[in-house]
Amino acid sequence: MGTVERDTDRPTRIWRGATHLYHNRWAYLLIAPAVVFLVSVVGYPIVETFRLSLYQSPADSPIETYVGLAHYAAILDSDVFYQLLWQTGRWVVLGVAGKTLLGLLIAVHLKGDIRGRKFFRTAFLIPWGIPYAISAVVFRWIEHPQYGALNAILMKLGVIDQGIGILGNPETAWIGVVVADIWIGTPFMAIILLAGLQSIPEELYEAASIDGARRWEQFRYITLPQLKSVIFIATLLSTIWTFVSFDVIWTMTRGGPINTTSTLVIQIYQVGLENGDLGRGAAYSVIGFLFLLVFAVSYLRVYTRGGDEL
Amino acid sequence: MAGRNRSTLRTVRVYGVLLALLGIMMFPFYVMLTSTLKPENELFSSPVTLVPSELTIEAFLSVWGQTDVLLWVANSFLISLGTVVLTLVLAIPAAYSCARNDFVGKRSFLLSVLVVQMFAPVVLIVGLFDVITQAGLFNTYLAVIIPAAAFTLPFNIWMLYGYFKTIPVSLEESARIDGASQLQILTKIVLPLTKPALVASITYTFLYAWNRLLFVLTFLTDSAKYNVPRGVFSMVGALQTDWQMMLTVSVIGIVPLLILFAFLEEYIVSGLTAGAVKE
Repeated sequence: MGTVERDTDRPTRIWRGATHLYHNRWAYLLIAPAVVFLVSVVGYPIVETFRLSLYQSPADSPIETYVGLAHYAAILDSDVFYQLLWQTGRWVVLGVAGKTLLGLLIAVHLKGDIRGRKFFRTAFLIPWGIPYAISAVVFRWIEHPQYGALNAILMKLGVIDQGIGILGNPETAWIGVVVADIWIGTPFMAIILLAGLQSIPEELYEAASIDGARRWEQFRYITLPQLKSVIFIATLLSTIWTFVSFDVIWTMTRGGPINTTSTLVIQIYQVGLENGDLGRGAAYSVIGFLFLLVFAVSYLRVYTRGGDEL
Repeated sequence: MAGRNRSTLRTVRVYGVLLALLGIMMFPFYVMLTSTLKPENELFSSPVTLVPSELTIEAFLSVWGQTDVLLWVANSFLISLGTVVLTLVLAIPAAYSCARNDFVGKRSFLLSVLVVQMFAPVVLIVGLFDVITQAGLFNTYLAVIIPAAAFTLPFNIWMLYGYFKTIPVSLEESARIDGASQLQILTKIVLPLTKPALVASITYTFLYAWNRLLFVLTFLTDSAKYNVPRGVFSMVGALQTDWQMMLTVSVIGIVPLLILFAFLEEYIVSGLTAGAVKE
């Protein structure tokens, strides 16, 4: 019975599929260039990364040797990997926390009836829109052990009595880089949170103030709950961008001194391209994919929640 | 009366906090600019002067001869424009097709595009390196433009798709009755109406391509093709760095962006918030 049904069904389904394709041929033709482009520039390198991770493949030689999972085994067996995980975690958590808090502080104060809001918003946005490499060298200069402005200020304030080299010291270098990254990432947070704040209906606050709610209470019981989904998406995006942030670290320290400012993505670059060990670099990339996959799935789940129409 | 005092007090406090925050965020720019305007020997004197004792534009006069800053700016423009064109050529038809048709695979297409947006180039750089080399693109502008376009394409497709959907089909139908071709409808009717989304997309793509170091660092070893970030990066010496020249180049390298910001801030903000805040 079942087989008979399938036999009559199959041609019909193929026929239906073919007519659908035919009727929508223009639609498919118009997305085709984008699809082909993304498959070759993003899809194929992904596959290539997986393949390479199974080979010993020096960048300067065409000879590849199959090594199976040896790269993964070596990585999971090395102390460097766990050091990198810890440093990446510290980098992401502190960076995102800093950006969110500072961004929220800016957004909350920009929300009301502010004269010159456009000026403030533009000014606050600038650090986001300039090359990370430029921000990085400016921070390098600010944190310069002898001639940096930061030392000058700290000395004036009496915090230190002689210049310190933040970036040269393995204990403190990561702080010097995180500060620069927070500066770069704060504007995005501020702008997104400001837009979120502005979408909260004013009546909620009016009703609350009639009920005698204090400003702090209004923030706690109206602003934060109303802002929840925006904060979630913004911190998620910021987490991804902080996780993959390359230009800042590479320009400021190249992951040094003695690897203390390195992260997983810095390691990918260092091993795969600087040292020319494509296979090992690819294996680190695949581990990076796994992290991104988790972030991407949570993003898609939020984005498509409630069966939103695309 | 008391209420009014309180609200004045609050206004003062809000501005106070805003100005303090602005001061913090602008401080690096202040240091950057004053360092280029100080006499060079003051830059390397102790104690460090936060306010320059005298201002001079000497660095801005000598930077053109001492560095390739003009070339880097020109290359940045070339790379940015190339990326914008390539991205739009791919994004406009795709976004238009999705906005106007219901076909099998549309949802998966749009969602996969969203995933690409998340797939940061640096995680893909090893695979990309292999592909770019195999394709014989190493050391060509295309080696930078193609990956940049791939990673700005998602934003462009979504931005334009969302906007195309808001344009009533009836407009196009009446034009079709008047005998306009599909291409004419797109260029004469749809695209002009899409201006805000187009400007946001173009600005985003332009900034993305202008600002990125990674692709140029990896795929261009020919210093005649360096963009601004790569040029600045090349000035960071292991032992010796010409700080004043480097900072002067940095200032020049962000001037075009500041102009862009001054005129297009509205569009940049709308583009930035499009993905995160649902109206």
